[in-house]
Amino acid sequence: MNLEFFDANSFIGRPMNGIFKPAQSGRDLVIEMKKQNLSKAIVWHIFQYEGSPEKGNRMLAEQISGYSELYGCWTILPPQTDEIITQDFFEKMKENKIVALNAFPEWHRFVLNRVSFGEFFENLVERRIPLFLTMGRTCITWESLYNLMRDFPSLTCILCDIGIWGVDRFTWPLLEKFPNFYLETSLLSLEEGGLEATVKKFGSEKLVFGTGFPVRYPKAAILELVHADIPDNDKEAIASKNLERILREEKL
Amino acid sequence: MNSLWEKFLEKGKVENCPVYDMHAHMGTYSRIYFPYGEFDSEKTKQRFDRSGIKLLIFCHHWTLFSPDIGNTANIETVRKLPEKLRAYCGVNPNYPEIIEKDVDEFEKYKDVFVGFKLLADYHGLPITHKNYAPAWRYANRKKLLVLLHTWGSSHYNGPQQIRKVAEKYPDARILMGHSCHGEWDEAVKVMKDFPNVYAELCAVVDDRGGLEKFLDKVGSKKIVFGTDWPWFNHHYYIGAVLDSGLSDEDAHNIFHRNAEKLLEKLIY
Repeated sequence: MNLEFFDANSFIGRPMNGIFKPAQSGRDLVIEMKKQNLSKAIVWHIFQYEGSPEKGNRMLAEQISGYSELYGCWTILPPQTDEIITQDFFEKMKENKIVALNAFPEWHRFVLNRVSFGEFFENLVERRIPLFLTMGRTCITWESLYNLMRDFPSLTCILCDIGIWGVDRFTWPLLEKFPNFYLETSLLSLEEGGLEATVKKFGSEKLVFGTGFPVRYPKAAILELVHADIPDNDKEAIASKNLERILREEKL
Repeated sequence: MNSLWEKFLEKGKVENCPVYDMHAHMGTYSRIYFPYGEFDSEKTKQRFDRSGIKLLIFCHHWTLFSPDIGNTANIETVRKLPEKLRAYCGVNPNYPEIIEKDVDEFEKYKDVFVGFKLLADYHGLPITHKNYAPAWRYANRKKLLVLLHTWGSSHYNGPQQIRKVAEKYPDARILMGHSCHGEWDEAVKVMKDFPNVYAELCAVVDDRGGLEKFLDKVGSKKIVFGTDWPWFNHHYYIGAVLDSGLSDEDAHNIFHRNAEKLLEKLIY
């Protein structure tokens, strides 16, 4: 079957190190997406994580402007330091085609909870702006993630790079309890039967497609989803429709 | 781009490109929930048929993690689905008396075993330790496969330890499970130095770049396909291999030709 793919998990920019070949620019990523038959992507810049969220966010905005296939994901820090979150933050997001946010609390050394982000996250919940978190890159512990979701049970949260070892015992309670908690599939696909079991238990609406590019191979996640033992309409939902719905519900 | 991608994308499998999974497991495991952990021969066969798995060679989790169960779990499982399964005889060096017994009885289970599996990082003794010697000697004499769990920088099963056993047992066919993950250049050197050492791809394709390096520096004839199934999904791994920029010839070598050669006199 022909699926339209909307990639929820890829980044641009050259990292400090790594064996993989990166997409240096927005243009490079679009070329790779065409090769892989991916229609759209939410993308961030590696410098947002490795160097400076503030400068990285600006680099990202420059790289995605002019490419209708690309939407941006900015990195946030606690509002108290005024480094990222300013009065006109949401207007700037809109101006720069930024549709989502991410955070790396362990790496950027802050606590992602109500104490640090109370009012701002209430705003995210109301506007239904998705927050991307990763279980890779020393981002967040499972305990902190559980506490965050308990603090903000209606938060739209998409968990990426869920790990090489199966993590259903961690993720399934979150899928069960929180209506706007989603999993990105690039490593869920890695687990034998993981995709099918999650769909059977929670429905396909809880999953969004991702490739993990440039660290991982897009064709891996594509082949797994195309031949997953689930109905075609579930595959369509995971491949692109769920993420499109999440973005349609967003009020920037 | 290789032509196999379009074919796998269309049907999930390719008739003239069967897939041999040379690194797998079976059964439940305490630290992970596996949707396909409980063995069921019909369900397992169906899953294999979806991706064209011709043969899967495993070592049961319970064998590796319980000397009380040992290789019984391997024998029983293979005999439930012999057309699709073979096993590695699990070796735990902390129980040398069990190793000696298993080696003595190896011939009795020629329909089950194609070699040995060593999991030194978990069992806590390096692959060079004397307790493994009966298995190594037997593998060397019979030209059997020895699947090692290997990892970069490991003192139990890293590149330096592999060099020692590869030199001492030149007729044992050594598969470097995970290919010294992270120490890719050292894995390349070991493969170049020893004709009896092969790369195995489980966990290698979690990061783009390692497989490309092996293809460039060593060539596809020294690489076998493996997934740690049911930890990882066959289509995911097939897609990853086909996304590495390799040729059709390379893909055929990795998915089945190399395995067919290695298993030529070991399948009864």
